[in-house]
Amino acid sequence: MEITPHILIIDDDREIRDLLARFLERNQIRVTTARDGREARRVWSAGHYHLVVLDLMLPGETGLDIARWLRTQGNVPIIMLTAMSDETDRIIGLELGADDYVSKPFNPRELLARVRAVLRRIGDGHENTQGGTRNMRFSGWLLEVSRRRLLNPDGVEVSLTGGEFDLLQALLERANRVLTRDMLLDLLRGRQAGPFDRAIDVAISRLRRKLEDDGRNSQLIKTVRGGGYVFEADVERV
Amino acid sequence: MKLFPASLAARASLVLIAGFAVIEVAGLTIEAMDRMDFDRRMARHQVMSHVAMIYRTVEDAKPADRAAVVEDLNKSGDFSASLSAVPPKDLTHEVPERDLPLLLSWAEMRPRENDGPPPMRGFEGPWEHPESPPVFFLPKMGRMPPPPDGFRGGFGDPPPLRFFRGGGRPLHILSFPQRHGRHLAVAMQLPDDSQWLEIRAVLPRATPFSSPLFPLAFALMTAVGGTLIVIAVRRLLAPVGTLVAAAENLVPDDNAAPLPEKGPLELVRAAVAFNAMAARIRRFVSDRTLVLTAIGHDLRTPITRMKLRAEFIDDEELREKFLSDLNELTSMVDATLAYGRESSGREPLVNMDLRALLHTVVDDLVESRPGSEERLVFDEGNSVGRAPVIIRGRPVALKRAFTNLAGNALNYAGGAIVRLTGGGDHPVVVTIDDEGPGLPEEDLTRMFEPFVRMEESRNRETGGAGLGLAIVRTIIRGHGGDVILKNRHPHGLSAIVTLS
Repeated sequence: MEITPHILIIDDDREIRDLLARFLERNQIRVTTARDGREARRVWSAGHYHLVVLDLMLPGETGLDIARWLRTQGNVPIIMLTAMSDETDRIIGLELGADDYVSKPFNPRELLARVRAVLRRIGDGHENTQGGTRNMRFSGWLLEVSRRRLLNPDGVEVSLTGGEFDLLQALLERANRVLTRDMLLDLLRGRQAGPFDRAIDVAISRLRRKLEDDGRNSQLIKTVRGGGYVFEADVERV
Repeated sequence: MKLFPASLAARASLVLIAGFAVIEVAGLTIEAMDRMDFDRRMARHQVMSHVAMIYRTVEDAKPADRAAVVEDLNKSGDFSASLSAVPPKDLTHEVPERDLPLLLSWAEMRPRENDGPPPMRGFEGPWEHPESPPVFFLPKMGRMPPPPDGFRGGFGDPPPLRFFRGGGRPLHILSFPQRHGRHLAVAMQLPDDSQWLEIRAVLPRATPFSSPLFPLAFALMTAVGGTLIVIAVRRLLAPVGTLVAAAENLVPDDNAAPLPEKGPLELVRAAVAFNAMAARIRRFVSDRTLVLTAIGHDLRTPITRMKLRAEFIDDEELREKFLSDLNELTSMVDATLAYGRESSGREPLVNMDLRALLHTVVDDLVESRPGSEERLVFDEGNSVGRAPVIIRGRPVALKRAFTNLAGNALNYAGGAIVRLTGGGDHPVVVTIDDEGPGLPEEDLTRMFEPFVRMEESRNRETGGAGLGLAIVRTIIRGHGGDVILKNRHPHGLSAIVTLS
């Protein structure tokens, strides 16, 4: 990423806008801010943005309205700022095509990590996974990305940790391709607060257990000699 | 000494049974006295007729046959009669004829005057009525007797007389000089040969109850009556127990069904008052929750700003401290909002695997706290028990509940073992056992109330708003289950979650 990424922040609180802009600019990200939908449309036409950070709770035109409008404008990734752990907002936001969400009050460094992760995904050329919001079906299982949940073939919800979910999503998005530990680490780094390195193998074994794919003859997640994993299944995006 | 029982039902039963007993004893006494009185009259009648019969029989016989007749009469048992030439030594009292009935009643009480129903006519001699003239000395047939002393009877028909019939009236009548208990003795000098006919008898003892079945029937009646009283009192007071249970189980933050408003008037009023009170408490709690939620919402913007500002603090140590304070503040606001949200319970119920959820809870906590993987363990038991445990639940809420419980164990006890049992037809039980210091017994229930926390934990290191366990209980009860805390031996605390 040689060029400086340019992102648009839409938030109604001036202090937050300005502080966030200062904080991100200090981390080599160019920032333009907008107070509401009207201002966002004005600055949108004036520049090219790699990513939009969008507050869902805006007075007047809501963040969801703006997200819908942005979707008509192209494939710009969106990170939602949602009300704290408000499931409904988050689900709607993700279903509308947000790439990620951060709940308020967020840790600035967490937001930065998310921003970088999304930008890296685009840089890696995976923007075709746009939104990441499509649900994925495999061997009767259903991964609902927007709701961040996994349903088994009987429709029973099987709970996953954040790491397990991201790992499964990464594997499914690249099904039938061998992924080395390093690649997986790279894909997952943005999400995890702590060091994840040695946890990859642990997470894989937990994931196998939850997919009832236990034991030596794993059918879904296969271990590749030389240090890698491959998800062997037909993944259908629904 | 607890002679008087504590419970209202026992007291009421006792009072009623005591009253019942008093009434029974009184009724029984009246009945027994009446009975004894009747018995005595009967006995007296018998004595009279026996004495008369003996005398007549003896007097009718020829003097030479009399000894044999007396011997014959003696065989009848109840009486002893004898003939002798001299009067018995102990019978020294000369009795006028007219006082003979009185004498014969000496063994018992005197007849009462004008008391009770008249005795049975058939058995009654004319002497029974004090007004009636003693007419034993009625003269020979066909002639009216001369009016005796005290005769006030006028010209009414003289009662038929059989006592000293046929002019064979005794010359003398002797008896005990004073009363001799139930013993009776009369000596009568026969008119023709001056022999003394001595008749002795012992009156039967008057018994209050004639039938041996009577005490048995009485005991049965008492037992049945007492049992009925106890049952009736219990049924009557059952709504009080319901009221007590409702008051004890009142959880201000759930929507338990109101107390049924039926039964006796006072209890209906108590139930109505209780329901109104419960509704008020619930409203207070929900108002408070609303206020808290509003504050929590409003706090998010300033906290976000402060977090951003903290990033511009150059002193790294200061910045980290600042951020950790803010994180604590965030988690408190988060808990408050979660509490408000769980109290309204909007998440839909889905089929979910509780085992996977517990794995996730433990793994998430371990991931967020490096180095805790040895201390927080999900003990799955043997491999047989590894099947998914499918329940109907709210996954996000349940995850929060178990995260709070396991997180508490990590914070306050340094670690815990999570176990899952049941499933299928049995209730699902999740236990979270730690080896920490435990809690004082009296706080084990109180800890589930909102904003209650151990005083010593109200410090920066463990933080929190005192909502963690309140959220847990709201969530678990929202699933129709329950959660309790128990101290373990020798030390440690056990949180036991039961999901039906």
